[in-house]
Amino acid sequence: MSDAEQPSDQETDVDPHAHHDHGPEGPGYATPQAAIEQSEPEETAYVMGLYVGTDVDAPDFLAVVDVDPDSETYTEVVDRVEMPNRGDELHHFGWNACSSSCHVGGLERRHLIVPGQRSSRFHVIDTEDRRNPEMTKVIEPEEVYEHDLSAPHTVHCIPDGEILVSMLGDADGDLPGGFLEMNDQFEVVGRWDPPGEIEMNYDFWYQPRQNVMLSTEWAAPKTYYPGFDIEDVEAGRYGQRLHFWDWEAGTVEQTIDLGEEGLIPLEARFLHTPESTHGYVGAALSSNIIHFHDEDGEYHAEKAIDFESREMDGWDMPVPALPTDILISMDDRYLFGSNWLHGEVWMYDISDPSNPRKADSISIGGYFGDIREVQGRELDAGPQMIQLSLDGERLYWTSSLFSSWDNQFFPGEAENGSVMLKADVNPRRGTMELDEEFLVDFGEMPHGPARAHEIRWPDGDCTSDVWQ
Amino acid sequence: MTSYTLTLERADGSSDRVTATPDETVLDAAEATGVGLPFGCLTGACGTCTGRLLEGDIEHRRPARALKERHREAGYVLLCVAEPRSDCRIRVGADVQAELVPNPWR
Repeated sequence: MSDAEQPSDQETDVDPHAHHDHGPEGPGYATPQAAIEQSEPEETAYVMGLYVGTDVDAPDFLAVVDVDPDSETYTEVVDRVEMPNRGDELHHFGWNACSSSCHVGGLERRHLIVPGQRSSRFHVIDTEDRRNPEMTKVIEPEEVYEHDLSAPHTVHCIPDGEILVSMLGDADGDLPGGFLEMNDQFEVVGRWDPPGEIEMNYDFWYQPRQNVMLSTEWAAPKTYYPGFDIEDVEAGRYGQRLHFWDWEAGTVEQTIDLGEEGLIPLEARFLHTPESTHGYVGAALSSNIIHFHDEDGEYHAEKAIDFESREMDGWDMPVPALPTDILISMDDRYLFGSNWLHGEVWMYDISDPSNPRKADSISIGGYFGDIREVQGRELDAGPQMIQLSLDGERLYWTSSLFSSWDNQFFPGEAENGSVMLKADVNPRRGTMELDEEFLVDFGEMPHGPARAHEIRWPDGDCTSDVWQ
Repeated sequence: MTSYTLTLERADGSSDRVTATPDETVLDAAEATGVGLPFGCLTGACGTCTGRLLEGDIEHRRPARALKERHREAGYVLLCVAEPRSDCRIRVGADVQAELVPNPWR
């Protein structure tokens, strides 16, 4: 452990501020605070762009977005890496390596692992040239099905250059899901977990110093793929449990059933400080944020934020907020999140982690957002995938959730494409304000309007890195 | 081998005619003719390729897991695993999948 805690020991002859540059000392940053101090403001964003669930006959793509305000192509998609096949549904993606391997010399944060949520195909994209990334490897679905897994979701770089991916279904798109492990050569090693530990799967986060991993639950792919059917909730086909794993052993130690208050627990975030056992999960359907932490050797989870459903004139039932994404600022001061249906991005002060305090929010897009357009571009869906700059001063988001769910709730995402928007955040005052100058319009792609999903920066972000 | 004529109709009134053998999926037959249809998993789990059979017979070569009983009764089929058993008229396009589940709150 001491090596892992003191990665800078190895770099006595180099400028410690250059630690995050590609170099012999390994990828990432020594600590979360080092990530804040040593990173430059993001100039490039990688964004998943997709055509699944539309009549545009084109493959999904990795969009390279210019987010450098001093650039002539600011807010433009400056490059697109098209997938070799159609129908992937690009969704979440991740790095080959992050701060969890920062003691591994020679390893670089350089390759993006980009799975197809529907196709179960993996793409490896080399970002050595940040503005002109190149596809270097494709792992075909058959190689994934061999391990009786499908529907890749979250990609985390884990220590020693390995890669772990949550898989939501078996080879038929049914339960159980599990985890797929890849080595540093991007070869499928196999199933990481012994079958039978979990049924449903979704997101995961690990905190190695606490020897814990948390996984959450969506549903079987065959259940959520075609759209959100309320009958499936009534039939218990959607998740409501948190699984706390023994990270080293790869087995579930404790399962917490959240019940009605925790339906569809999606994004899982531990605080960044490697000592912490605290974190949050967004229970999307119940529209609650669940706070969890370890006390006396056992994890406890309780509702910490409750978003009330809202009445829509003429509709049958009150509409839930649907907080589909959350993240924690690198300084562990704020929890940010998005309420996709209601149309809101928000930030809560979590300096007292058990008692989040609302700091600010922006009401935009969705069913109830006050702001209905940016630069004359009409908004449809609310904020969905969010990403924060490492310094905590710029929050970006896109508007697509999942093709079939978009088609159900915000069909405009298919017709007009998604938007990527930004707010300026003042982390000292706890405020955020929409940047009206910033609009990336995925409605204006060469093949036609595209959806946009997860966002990442080349030098790591608030959902990519874990510390040993 | 026997081959069937598939008429693929879209909501905008346009249509394509493609020929398919009984061991070929509707999706593959369309692709082979240069007609692009929506698709996703190709295993019958995701429903992205959903079409609606207006006339004719098809058989799913793998279980159509993405469809519920009510969908099958209404004639929805999964074109990635659907093989023709006769000439068919099928409604295609991304809007067909979007009919499968309504907004439950509306």
